[in-house]
Amino acid sequence: MKNTVVKAENIIKRYGDLVALDHFSLEISEGEIFGLLGPNGSGKTTTINCILSLLSFDKGSIEIFGKPMTPTSYDIKKNIGVIMQNVAVFDELTVYENIDYFCGLYITDKAQRKQYVDEAVEFVGLEDFLRFRPKKLSGGLLRRLNIACGIAHKPKLIILDEPTVAVDPQSRNRILEGIEELNRNGATVIYTSHYMEEVEQICTRIAIMDKGKKIAEGTKDELKRMIRNTETVTIEILGLEDRIKDRISTLPHVYSTEYDGTKLTVGCSGGKHNLVRILGVLQENDLSFGRVYSELPTLNDVFLEITGKALRDKED
Amino acid sequence: MQVFNAFMKIMKKKVVISVMYLWVFAIIGIAIAFSDGGTALFEQNSLRICVFDEDNTPESRALCDFLDKDNELVTLENDRDIILDALYYDRVNYVLTIKKGYAEKLAAGNTDDLFESMKMHDSYSTVYMGQILNEYAGTVSAFIAGGNDVVTSVGKAADVLSQDAEVNTASFGEEDNAVLSGNASLFFRYLPYIILGTVMSTLCPVLLKLGKKDIRFRTNCSGLSPGSYMVQLFAASTVFITAVWLVFMVIGAIINGGMYSGTAWLAVLNSFIYTLFSAAMTVFVVSFEPSNLVLTILTQIFTLSTSFLCGIFIQQEFLGDSVLAAARFMPTYWYVRVNRMLAGEEPFDSSLAVTSLLIETAFAAAFAVLAVLVRRAWYGRASAVTA
Ligand SMILES: Nc1ncnc2c1ncn2[C@@H]1O[C@H](COP(=O)(O)OP(=O)(O)OP(=O)(O)O)[C@@H](O)[C@H]1O
Ligand SMILES: [Mg+2]
Repeated sequence: MKNTVVKAENIIKRYGDLVALDHFSLEISEGEIFGLLGPNGSGKTTTINCILSLLSFDKGSIEIFGKPMTPTSYDIKKNIGVIMQNVAVFDELTVYENIDYFCGLYITDKAQRKQYVDEAVEFVGLEDFLRFRPKKLSGGLLRRLNIACGIAHKPKLIILDEPTVAVDPQSRNRILEGIEELNRNGATVIYTSHYMEEVEQICTRIAIMDKGKKIAEGTKDELKRMIRNTETVTIEILGLEDRIKDRISTLPHVYSTEYDGTKLTVGCSGGKHNLVRILGVLQENDLSFGRVYSELPTLNDVFLEITGKALRDKED
Repeated sequence: MQVFNAFMKIMKKKVVISVMYLWVFAIIGIAIAFSDGGTALFEQNSLRICVFDEDNTPESRALCDFLDKDNELVTLENDRDIILDALYYDRVNYVLTIKKGYAEKLAAGNTDDLFESMKMHDSYSTVYMGQILNEYAGTVSAFIAGGNDVVTSVGKAADVLSQDAEVNTASFGEEDNAVLSGNASLFFRYLPYIILGTVMSTLCPVLLKLGKKDIRFRTNCSGLSPGSYMVQLFAASTVFITAVWLVFMVIGAIINGGMYSGTAWLAVLNSFIYTLFSAAMTVFVVSFEPSNLVLTILTQIFTLSTSFLCGIFIQQEFLGDSVLAAARFMPTYWYVRVNRMLAGEEPFDSSLAVTSLLIETAFAAAFAVLAVLVRRAWYGRASAVTA
């Protein structure tokens, strides 16, 4: 059994009448990339801030590296690296000075700090921008600077709160690869996001949050197994009669059919030849159809089935 | 030392703003230094005036005599081109036409539309001349209304107005009991304005930057204790305000024409306490976490209102009793009181000096304490554990 790095038990956090965290518990082992997935306002940042003792909470307990976490637990804090949701750097300092400042809050030895800062710069690929001020950096580069400021001191636990918000796909991939590399080098990672693709891509274990509650937890495969959906078949077709739609819904493994006039969506659970069988019905009736696709379940389907709503807006 | 260093690096960027304040101040200072004991700036300059007396009565001639006392009267041909030429080449600064009916109107107490004037551009002197003429006419007609005959009224008005001018420039510096030179006392009089402006406009943004929520969170996540953080911040702020103050003291010494001696050191102490007050005020303002815009506006309001109400821009003897009564609730008033004693504008009273310094110190302490309280309340509301 691996060591537990973070253990949060029954946290309750209220902002006035709003219950931001509702009996929230969490256990993260060494070497994991733990994903905290939830829509906007579900309480991800609040969770992080409570774990870090930046916010007081009403009930519950938090242990990090096996010791209770308090605002004055400097020995614990020294081993944590934090990358906040909002970029937190000094506009007046250069890229290098910023990394050096934040690294210096942990590492006092000058020679070692210089080496660490140089490594962090190389890690995020900002070598060419050392003398730039943050205002002159593009959004993606700024996020990378934000990350470098949080990880330069080589922490054992790295907490990233939506580090890829408003970043183009290329920069985003780079950031995700970087996180995996940090993890390979031995860091335990907590990663929050409302982008399910990212979480699916890098996280070894995932907790899904909604309205301050943890609604599901497991590896992405475990999560997907929790729901009956195994495949969603979508077919573009015009003028589908109710009779045929009903016929499809009686096929084995089909548990839902929906038709909006142009598109037929069929939810299947289990079974191997769902698509062939559905298309068979259409051919029997001499119906022509447009594009056809079949999708494996996503974390969005998990969220959808548990809460009855989508994880996030489609265009997001 | 991280926080200390970052403070200094950010300060370097912000210092541009204080340099701006310094420039304004330097220009005022130079103007004072070149203006002979600080009085010339406030004196009416002598103008070359050409008068066309269309009324030609004893009253209008009395006005010519009145103007002749402080100015040079020039004669020109009454031809528009010639007049414009003369104005253009500065042979004359002000062309006054006393309109026909001047004497009658004055006797009837009507001071409207008595004159016509031409000038090349609005300078301080020409505007001032316009005011003098209005004031003169108003005073004469007031004396006439008071039952005096015209000749007496004209004479009395001339007396009153020239006395007025003397009072305006009387109290600058030359008294025997002054321990600061006229220039230096003027410099020290303006100092609160510039110190408060410099300290607020530079220290505020730096402290705000370091205390910004996201950055504060990041700092609080680190191994640095709040104690060590505060100590570094305090040390850096102290170094900064001391440096600012020292710069001004050196400038003051130069203007004073040599090192301070005897009671003049009181001016130095006075300004140091005022610097402490400025710093406390800054910390107090910062504890509300104002935006940049609000900060700029607040800085202007504080510096200008204290300067106007407490006797910096306008000498205390020209301020109304109610203004002075209100000004007592500002440390700047007490600073100016001490400075007035040192400049010989008020008899020196050592107990008043000590009281004034103590009151300023109390203001500094009060704002520092308020800052701490506001900070507590602020973070308490946000329910954050760490400040
Ligand atoms: N300081 C605060 N005062 C009052 N309510 C707050 C405060 N901070 C957060 N909340 C509320 O608590 C809830 C959870 O917020 P939180 O920031 O943790 O969500 P999140 O999951 O991080 O969302 P996002 O994806 O937008 O970052 C939200 O409803 C939010 O409005
Ligand atoms: Mg958040």
